[in-house]
Amino acid sequence: MTARPVCVDGVELLMDYLEDVIGPEDRKVIEAHVSSCPRCTAFVESYRHTPRIFRAATIASLPGDLADSLRRFLASRR
Amino acid sequence: MADPAAEESDEALAARAAAGETPAFDALVGRYQSRVYRLACRLTGNEGDAKDVLQEAFLAAYRGLRGFRADSRFSTWLYRIATNAALMHRRAAARRPTEPLEAYLPRFDGDGRHVGEPADLLAASRADELLDRKLLAEKARAGLGRLPDIYRDAFVLRDLEEMPTADVAEVLGIDAAAVRQRVHRARLMLRGYLSDLVGVKP
Repeated sequence: MTARPVCVDGVELLMDYLEDVIGPEDRKVIEAHVSSCPRCTAFVESYRHTPRIFRAATIASLPGDLADSLRRFLASRR
Repeated sequence: MADPAAEESDEALAARAAAGETPAFDALVGRYQSRVYRLACRLTGNEGDAKDVLQEAFLAAYRGLRGFRADSRFSTWLYRIATNAALMHRRAAARRPTEPLEAYLPRFDGDGRHVGEPADLLAASRADELLDRKLLAEKARAGLGRLPDIYRDAFVLRDLEEMPTADVAEVLGIDAAAVRQRVHRARLMLRGYLSDLVGVKP
């Protein structure tokens, strides 16, 4: 990483940062940059919300009749 | 009535099922059918295909029980079967090509700084407040469908099914670093896609 990281460096390491698989040095420079950069602060926030929004929007429940038809399907092939 | 299999581990049930005990397999189906169906919906994007994947996955699991190694976890093994079934399904369906999501990756100026104002960069976070629920569900499904297969599989397993990265790596047969790279790329594209949905160019 460059001595003075810019937004693109932080974005590149963002996943590793959130999963805590980067070294302490990289962690420090990312935190220093993001905390002083309103654009990165906003970007990180929206990046973190993306999985939650997709998760909630794609919830699907197994219909009861499908559970029944799965049972019949498997029984017919034993 | 208490389920006699309720306390038994997946792996113990799988071992009994492999030895021919049908009720043990039925107990595993009962445990996992909802999760496999939800996964299949997310991977295929529609209920009809998800139903096929659900059936194919459990049938393949039933027929492959003897090949299940007791030193791996049943859930990971089953998820791998289901993920592969969904992939085969998508390929067989030969859907018309969709526009890729690369255009939604974040943009930087010549100095490596974000392009756009903070309020615009934040906009994706509020997609669920700003959009009608039904519309968002439809768009989310369409967005997942536009991801390249390898990114969608990693994103769905890691971020939507919330599996640990190490488990996703096992399901997909790749290392954890590759999982993180794929999930990251998917998040970047889908984040930009959400921005676009709320009227902000990523």
